[in-house]
Amino acid sequence: MPASHLLKTSSPRTLPEELIIAEARRGDRKAFAELVRRYEETVYRFSYKLCRDREKAEETLQDTFINVFRKLNSFDGKSKFSTWLYTIVVNNCRMRHRRRKIREIEESLESLDNPPASVDGHFSKEIARWEETPADLMLGKELKEQLDAAIQKLPDEYRVVFVLRDIDGRSTEETAAIVGISQEAAKSRLRRARAYLREQLDPYMSTPQGGRR
Amino acid sequence: MKCRDVYLHICENLDQGADSPRCRQIRRHLEACSDCASYLDSLKKTVDLYRALPDPRIPRGAHLRLFKIIKTINRGETSSPRRLKKTADGKAGHGAKTPGKRRNN
Repeated sequence: MPASHLLKTSSPRTLPEELIIAEARRGDRKAFAELVRRYEETVYRFSYKLCRDREKAEETLQDTFINVFRKLNSFDGKSKFSTWLYTIVVNNCRMRHRRRKIREIEESLESLDNPPASVDGHFSKEIARWEETPADLMLGKELKEQLDAAIQKLPDEYRVVFVLRDIDGRSTEETAAIVGISQEAAKSRLRRARAYLREQLDPYMSTPQGGRR
Repeated sequence: MKCRDVYLHICENLDQGADSPRCRQIRRHLEACSDCASYLDSLKKTVDLYRALPDPRIPRGAHLRLFKIIKTINRGETSSPRRLKKTADGKAGHGAKTPGKRRNN
């Protein structure tokens, strides 16, 4: 049975994704609307995680689906549709933040590759223990503000890798493909992003006395 | 293996589940070095905290504005759709930043 006939006789919600994409590419309006319906929540959440701002997340949501409409014919099906979609979101966020001055922070992130170490290669300062666990803290308002402030200081190129790998649980391979960088670069950015966020939260999370186990 | 080496490689697999020679060395180092163990623990907690932040659902107004754009596209009213902005009265209005050929409302 031709796909276009299936769309006329069935609810689009029950049809497989490949069929919906193929029909949307052929200009089927119901199929395109169904594609948007399936992914609007995913795109909005991902955009919000990147910018931590509802208004910017909505702008990115709209820009992303406008771009999907314009570029759907260039989707060749070699990658997952979600990977292609995430690439568009990331590019929209890049455009939005292109003018942000990040040089200073990037330099401080690179310095995180060289932790304070003595000549024999051991840490030259004591690493404070974080006693409380996320469950203990119940993510109060103050902690949420700390988390938001810390991640917003991260340059976009680092934040997107952290969100994709650590929050969304994407593989290094997929993260690298979405961002358009090598897997080694993705690993390096992830390491620096985690170290930077940890450092930002350290004063808030460390036990007052610090101390070794 | 020194703390600096652990510091540079610990991040790749926070759960330390891999069984490569390097991972085995890191595990041995962590058993003996409280600073590196504390560091790893705090990195894991950093990630856990961000994972625990609630995911917002798409607001109804944002959903409606998005589908208003989709309707204009689907009606063939424009080949250059534009972003819609929330106006002061809560209704959708055209944003100024995305260029379009003509207004559609």
